[in-house]
Amino acid sequence: MGYVAVKGGTHAIKESVKRLKYERLQKQQVLETEKIEAGMRGLIDQVMSESSLYNEPLAALAIKQAEGNPEEAIFLLRAYRSTLPRKHCSQIIESEQMKVERRISASFKDIPGGQILGATTDYTHRLLDFGLMKETEELIREWLTEYEAENRLNEEKLDAPDILLPKVLDYLRKEGLIPLRENNDTEPDDVTRESLEFPSNRSQRLQILTRGQTGAVTSLAYAVIRGYGALHPTVGELRVGNLPVYVGHPNEVGSEEDDYYIGDVKATEAEMLMPFMAEKENGRKELEFEIGYGLCFGQNETKAIAMAILDNCLEHPDNSFPSHNEEFVLYHIDSVESTGFISHLKMPHYVTFQSKLDRVRKTKNSEEETAERQEVRR
Amino acid sequence: MKRKQRTEILISGSQDLAKSLANEIEQNYPVTAIQKPENGLVMLKVRETSKKSLFYLGEVLVTECKAKVEGKIGIGIVKGHQPELAYHLAIIDAAFLGNLPETTKWSSILESEKQHIEENSKAKNKAILKTKVSFETMDV
Repeated sequence: MGYVAVKGGTHAIKESVKRLKYERLQKQQVLETEKIEAGMRGLIDQVMSESSLYNEPLAALAIKQAEGNPEEAIFLLRAYRSTLPRKHCSQIIESEQMKVERRISASFKDIPGGQILGATTDYTHRLLDFGLMKETEELIREWLTEYEAENRLNEEKLDAPDILLPKVLDYLRKEGLIPLRENNDTEPDDVTRESLEFPSNRSQRLQILTRGQTGAVTSLAYAVIRGYGALHPTVGELRVGNLPVYVGHPNEVGSEEDDYYIGDVKATEAEMLMPFMAEKENGRKELEFEIGYGLCFGQNETKAIAMAILDNCLEHPDNSFPSHNEEFVLYHIDSVESTGFISHLKMPHYVTFQSKLDRVRKTKNSEEETAERQEVRR
Repeated sequence: MKRKQRTEILISGSQDLAKSLANEIEQNYPVTAIQKPENGLVMLKVRETSKKSLFYLGEVLVTECKAKVEGKIGIGIVKGHQPELAYHLAIIDAAFLGNLPETTKWSSILESEKQHIEENSKAKNKAILKTKVSFETMDV
């Protein structure tokens, strides 16, 4: 049997796209992007983080177009991002400058600045709130007015306009339980400009982890803790807040005071403590701590913690565990790459499949012929 | 007032302020848009706190504009799609670069806006700090 090249399906594809639009519109409801942006904070943050593009209105539009499917929304945003010029690279962002909205430590009870719970679902009952089905704009306004009145500044003195807090782990550094490090200002590599090659460096690993698919990053980190890895982490510090972004003048060399402030980005940072036995002089061993680092766009706490766990895994390559193998982790956590590859299996594979089918037929035919020959001999 | 503080106030404060300052310049001098407001990206370079090295967190959508006033080219750059604000910021930047006389009296206006921003920020922080845990030791 010969193979033939075929074409066609243009009309069917056109009608399929129409059908897709019909599925989105058939209930005759216009889903305004402003409403998605206002009410789907978690999904917006996840989509911005995985697409590696920070802009809430665009994330809302992508979610609307994708009918709430994150993998499609991320694909749309990554594609859009590739059409835009990169104007600048920011000045170095230090997370000590984060305007904190939430900060906790699972390792220390008393931390400077205190444990600030901020907005979290951690202490909520996971019971469906059927009242939300009857929520009205009037009820929302009433609640907001009351909340704002509760928090209006009266006579109390708040010293600083922003909540800037010292790092919890600086205390362990002062005690010598975490090695002190000097700033390393080596320019990072950019995986969006140059393809990843192994062995990877730290900047590449962290960039891939931070834009990784939340579910994939979380699942691999969970596997590490369950035993498919060699780590026992504790949350040293988890903070959520706004990071101010500055860019320098493109042509002038000026001081920090001459930078342009462009706005804040919300991010989640996790510093995970990993105990390990450090080799000292004369073969002596001492228990010390290392930090696994996670930072991602938006309030994505599970992802930031999982990223920190995988960061530390990849700092200690160990082929006994897939989670410590950089190729295994870094090549499989990207949303567009993994969902793209899996979903491409739906695309026509007529030629490759026919070739497989031919081989099966030939094998079967030759088996039948052999059997017939043996029958004749008897 | 240096650019860092100035842009912090103009971006965090009311957009009407940037508009009114830019309008003042437009009324007194010819303004040329060298680059109309256009969208682009800024890649964020961050320091991780484990090894203190640098990596790229991702990109943020920005609007950038360049305007020329009295021979000086100012840049307006702001997060998100904000063409009008970017244009006003570019004019104000050019005005400060050219030390135009209007800018001298802007300091007090900017300082007053800064106070307003700080008050709003403190009110927001009051609500956040209400979520600070107050531990009590239990008798066991």
